[in-house]
Amino acid sequence: MKRRLAVHLSLWALGLVVLRVAVIPAEVCPPVDAAGVRRAVSEAADWIVRGLGEDGRFVYGYDLAADEVSTDYNAARHAGVTMSLYQVFEATGDPGYLAAADTGLGYMLDRLVDGEGWTAWTEPGWDVATGANGLFLAGLALRHRATGDPSLDEVMRGVGAFLVGQQEENGAVLAYRSIGTGEPMTGWYDPFATGEAAWALVLLGRALPGEGWVESALPVIDYIANERDAAEGYVTRLPDHWAAYALGDLPVEHLDETRIGLAARLAGYFGMRLRFEAQRTGEGVNLWLRWYPGPPAGVGTAGEGIGALLPLTLTEPALQGLRRNVEERLVCTAGMMVDRQVTGEKASSMPRPHLARGAWFYRGYTQMDDQQHVLSALLAALPVVEAKEGER
Amino acid sequence: MNGIMLATAYLAAVNPPRTRLGMPESAAGGRGRPGVAVLGAASALMAVAALAGGSGTILAIVEVTPEMFRVAAGIVVAVAAIATLFRPRPAEEPEASGWRAALWPVFFPRLLGAEVVALALATGSTEGAAASVVAAALAFGLVVVLGAVRRGRLGDRLLLNTGRLVTVWLMVVAVYLIVDGIRAV
Repeated sequence: MKRRLAVHLSLWALGLVVLRVAVIPAEVCPPVDAAGVRRAVSEAADWIVRGLGEDGRFVYGYDLAADEVSTDYNAARHAGVTMSLYQVFEATGDPGYLAAADTGLGYMLDRLVDGEGWTAWTEPGWDVATGANGLFLAGLALRHRATGDPSLDEVMRGVGAFLVGQQEENGAVLAYRSIGTGEPMTGWYDPFATGEAAWALVLLGRALPGEGWVESALPVIDYIANERDAAEGYVTRLPDHWAAYALGDLPVEHLDETRIGLAARLAGYFGMRLRFEAQRTGEGVNLWLRWYPGPPAGVGTAGEGIGALLPLTLTEPALQGLRRNVEERLVCTAGMMVDRQVTGEKASSMPRPHLARGAWFYRGYTQMDDQQHVLSALLAALPVVEAKEGER
Repeated sequence: MNGIMLATAYLAAVNPPRTRLGMPESAAGGRGRPGVAVLGAASALMAVAALAGGSGTILAIVEVTPEMFRVAAGIVVAVAAIATLFRPRPAEEPEASGWRAALWPVFFPRLLGAEVVALALATGSTEGAAASVVAAALAFGLVVVLGAVRRGRLGDRLLLNTGRLVTVWLMVVAVYLIVDGIRAV
């Protein structure tokens, strides 16, 4: 009997070890406070601002091991980083960030092209990208919200018209418009442009109410909810943080079962992603089973996505049950990313401290959108961290 | 997990028909020993109550969220279900003498299998300890009731095949737990 007991207990012990190592390593959420989150946001935003050139372009990326600054550039990322600076300005009120965002915005305003009833920006000689214009419009709308300045309203309307013109009948959004013909390029879609367009139109509707912009976003949101992933050939459902932003900013009267269902589904994807991330240590056996701590942009998008949905968990009865978990994931994300950010002290021993300080690296490389997405996630987490501090 | 799913999940994890095949028999043979079955089931129920009631604390200590543990529990349950499908009859275990048979082999390893422990921790932290204990009590209660089933060729065949069907449901429970854990926020 003792021998059988020993056999059983040995099997249990082995099973527990395998389970612990392979399936449920500890989910580590470093402690974090509001001051730490604010500091991390400023450091990340300062990294972006330090990289802003006189031409209005940002430093795109930096390879720490090779000590090389990337010469690549990307229109959507430029627009996204600019938009995130408006988020920082809105949260902090620091005019330095507004000035930097306006410089980034100026780069796009200098590259406007006009068509029949629409306006958009593009790099000279390139076809017009929907995603880059979605984030351009989102930035404009956030600027409008934060400053109340109406001087760019006509540009916003023009870009809104461009985005509406990219829509197909079923709500699908074409990714490009030909600069040669001025017509949308049929058959070209993009994983993120659809959500970016939807969010931009919702924000435009918030900025300029009564002009039908929110209504023009609804078919796009429903297309994302019902058709997009299968229709555009994605193997899995896309964890679309831009769609989450669109849902989070959607006026409450437009929240129906389909859209609430999409919000719940997205929250689930982001939650899983962030819980998995918290299991990563990047060391020992964990490295082989979980790989390196994830790319900052990936972690950031999950964080900002779940953060964008937080307001819905406060107001929508069907989503209120998710609130505690959404808040937990946000605080955990903030803890992880504050912990992973390169501090000034650490950067001082690096070849180019100004390109390292405030950044998040993935295997020795950082890119503008790493800082953009993580700081957006931290901004979403900040009120939750502050509230939890207030409760203590 | 609704009430029916919870109850059937514990029924599938405990698998009373299969468990009956491995319960100590009365000296006369053919029937189980009611006292031993009741004591073993009561012990297992207390263990489930302790695990379910303490699941929040246990998971917090090992730094695992209930949602992630649900995925792990699903995997444990799936492995147990697959093993049971390949070995539908419980392994022969030497029996402790007298009332101690309620602890070995009834309480452990018959009733407190890995799948039951995983389920107790998973449902205790999500569905609540009370609901988990009620569901487990139904399953353990059925083990006691089935002690009255007379073993024999026909009885054993009935228990074996019913146990196989229950194991298929255990696989469904495993998939449910994994999907639910993945989709949870």
